[in-house]
Amino acid sequence: MAKQEWRLLLTGDKGAFDNMALDEAILQCVVAGTSPSTLRFYGWNPSAVSIGYFQGIEQEVDLDVCREQGVDVIRRLTGGGAVFHEHGSEITYSLAVKDDYPGIPKKVLDSYTLLCGGLVAGFRRLGLDAEFKPINDILVDGKKISGNAQTRRFGGILQHGTLLCDVNPHLMFSLLKVPSEKIRDKLIAGVEERVTSIRREVGTVDKDAVIEAMCAGFVEVLDIQLSPGTVSDEELALLTRVKEERYANPSWTYKR
Amino acid sequence: MLTQAGPISADYKAEGGKLLRVRMTVTADAPPLIQALRITGDFFMHPEEAIEDLEQLLTGAPLDEAALRERVQAFFDQDVQVVGADVDDFVTALLKAM
Repeated sequence: MAKQEWRLLLTGDKGAFDNMALDEAILQCVVAGTSPSTLRFYGWNPSAVSIGYFQGIEQEVDLDVCREQGVDVIRRLTGGGAVFHEHGSEITYSLAVKDDYPGIPKKVLDSYTLLCGGLVAGFRRLGLDAEFKPINDILVDGKKISGNAQTRRFGGILQHGTLLCDVNPHLMFSLLKVPSEKIRDKLIAGVEERVTSIRREVGTVDKDAVIEAMCAGFVEVLDIQLSPGTVSDEELALLTRVKEERYANPSWTYKR
Repeated sequence: MLTQAGPISADYKAEGGKLLRVRMTVTADAPPLIQALRITGDFFMHPEEAIEDLEQLLTGAPLDEAALRERVQAFFDQDVQVVGADVDDFVTALLKAM
């Protein structure tokens, strides 16, 4: 049987609202059948904090500091925790596929195992001893190097996540709320202990090589062909719409 | 033990799972009744909008283990996938606020 052909999108750095709206626009078009299953890689400019669908924004984010620092704040369509997406320090990926795609488990937890398996294979190609750690993390030498989150809606699956190139816990914890000032240093030390990065593990960061390795990992695990493509006009139009209706709309951002 | 009406809250980290943060206002009854409720945290629920059904289902419930468990279980029995917290975790988080 011929391998399924997926689209590879490299969309570069964008603002938080465009980034999240594009992920949703791609998902909608994949489900509608107007776009093929898609793997996308991107970055953030300016830096942004994203929070999970269920998180309380005031509970998690120091909005004043984010404003002062020019850091965008956005609520994701996916659950999970708050993430600091530092400009230049992260490669973000997203994957959109119909929910009846052959071989993708109906159980969310099982599908993390499969889809994160593509990233694990990618990290291994970079020479790192990576493993999937349920629920939604990838570890190298016991330390987190990637966090992932999934939503299922419109009849499709959207999974996106981070590939950490550099870690900056000091800046991160100035943007996120901490239970008390006293434990801020403890939290920073905790991140330094439990989180790692491609720079720390490999010594350098060659983003093109990382993306290439991850593509090869997904090709291997999903048994697909990946062909470079572009964002369609329909996706661009949808991006504008969902950005206005959802991501750039305070009633979405502040809903919890 | 709570005796006064008003806002109460608790954070509870599910073992091997995610953080549940509960904020609610309750009546001065014994046991107190949940008047308004918000559950936040870094868990996953599919579909996501179902969280509002769970909050609705728990509004008006007495803060009593059996009553809470019955309602949370009824929610979990619907067509919903919750990842990172189970029925016990939600009940524990709710009771911890007392």
